[in-house]
Amino acid sequence: MYGKGLRPLSIATVVMWAITLSLVFFYAPIEADQGFLQKIFYLHVPLAIIALCGYVIGGIFAVLHLRRDDPRWDAYSYVSIHISVIFTVGGLLTGAIWAKGSWGHWWVWNEPTLVSFLIVFLLYATYYPFRYAIEDRQRQARYASVFAITAGAFVPLNFLAVRASASLVHPRVFATAEGGLPTSMLVTFLCALVSMGLLWATLVKFELSAKSAQGQLKRLRRALDAPVGPPSSRIAPEVH
Amino acid sequence: MFHLLLAADPSVPNDIGGKYVAGAYVVFIVLLLIYVAIMAMKLARIEKGLGEVAEIAEARKEAAPAEPTESEAPAATTHTVTPGPAASGATAQETRP
Amino acid sequence: MTPSRTAFAAILAKDLRAELRTLQSLPAMALFAVSSYVIFRFGLNHSHLSGSLASGVLWVTLLFAAVLGINRLFVAEREEGGFDAIRLAPIDRSVLFTAKVAALIVYLAVLELIAVPIFALFFLNSAAALPPLIIVLVLADIGLAATGTLISSMAVNSRARDLLVPLVLLPLVIPLMIAATAATEPLMLLGGVSYHRFGTWLMVLGLYDLIFALLGYAVFDFLLED
Repeated sequence: MYGKGLRPLSIATVVMWAITLSLVFFYAPIEADQGFLQKIFYLHVPLAIIALCGYVIGGIFAVLHLRRDDPRWDAYSYVSIHISVIFTVGGLLTGAIWAKGSWGHWWVWNEPTLVSFLIVFLLYATYYPFRYAIEDRQRQARYASVFAITAGAFVPLNFLAVRASASLVHPRVFATAEGGLPTSMLVTFLCALVSMGLLWATLVKFELSAKSAQGQLKRLRRALDAPVGPPSSRIAPEVH
Repeated sequence: MFHLLLAADPSVPNDIGGKYVAGAYVVFIVLLLIYVAIMAMKLARIEKGLGEVAEIAEARKEAAPAEPTESEAPAATTHTVTPGPAASGATAQETRP
Repeated sequence: MTPSRTAFAAILAKDLRAELRTLQSLPAMALFAVSSYVIFRFGLNHSHLSGSLASGVLWVTLLFAAVLGINRLFVAEREEGGFDAIRLAPIDRSVLFTAKVAALIVYLAVLELIAVPIFALFFLNSAAALPPLIIVLVLADIGLAATGTLISSMAVNSRARDLLVPLVLLPLVIPLMIAATAATEPLMLLGGVSYHRFGTWLMVLGLYDLIFALLGYAVFDFLLED
């Protein structure tokens, strides 16, 4: 029953977001260096952090899937990665907007965090054609779990490599997170992080609930010997 | 404190910065809404499927205890009666908008 | 239960013997590399390369040539029923992983023995870069082999298997490529061989090798399940 905790969770998400947005626009001070533009920080960085956590969680679910051989974990892994990919797109777009505002270019190669993020996105984008290419459902689930684990191990390594390659001469664009943040900004940032995390969890639960409903409908159809119809998707694992 | 920070010359003028900030938040909202729209389509499909299944179940229920030769009248009445109270979801939808 | 070392040696020997007899991968990989050099010469309009450009051309070519070999790594297993044989044999299944990684390292080494001197001949002013390059090649080969074997074993059981390997493998080896090219670039500078941050990059390569070799070894059993 995935819809069970969904109502309190979504209410908590809405409340946190209301608080966060109020803090961002009415409480957090204007940063001296970047001016009003810096406010993107409260959106971009939480998107990125939560997306990466989501990938790691997807990897953990994949490990559980392989160890317990229960297809539900594959569904959790799939949905976690799915929502994280959407957050990654959001992170990349907001990052590009921030870069354009700061440097005048939509894309900058000398910002290692943004570049590693792009590479992570490229990798997880291959998750879908990868699943699509494997026909046998059980095998698809198993291979997808291996992919999620490999990709999860890849993320920290990738950040390390790209960071190391960044020339130390170029000033970091998003250096705001480096130096000590004033308390007011830190509080706002933490609220934004929590809100983003709650949003992630809500969306994951939401999607699992929808999948579960689809699965129950299929069960019902089968029980009534009614025509089942074409499978809704070749790659999304079914949830019952 | 606030005024001191404002007085310090920002690299990006606040009005242009404002447009970028707005753009970023708009992107965020739009992504979220696209997701909601896709889930709404999914929900609509599930609802349609449930309606079909409900009809089949009802039809089976009526057909089981009935005589082998089913007359038009009882079949017609069941057909008109059942969608009313059974599909309360449908009526609720009609009353809401 | 057959000890793993015996099984490993047996599978590796079979692979190498098969490749020697049929020569299906290695000549193609080597020829591809040399043709790529010619294309780069004209595509970039440079007859001499140094520094980052030389490093990039070399590693990109080696990577794409490696993909050719990786694509064909498990084809024999798939077509001749090798997977079933491994499942039935009284051996630890992960031995297939280590044996295939070793075989792929051998193929890559042979490829590099041919392709790298030719690269130096075509584009470099001196062969001074080559001795230190060897350690970079060795470390990169291990990482490439580990990741390549893992992806290849999954791709071989899918449709469009020739597409799947480049698609999934390329993002995965980006950290490896970053480290390899960054280590090679100072070796090929016009002014002479330099070891700028050489140790750092070798460590990154080593870390990559360690993580993906262990990962591949750990999950391979699940991949062979029916």
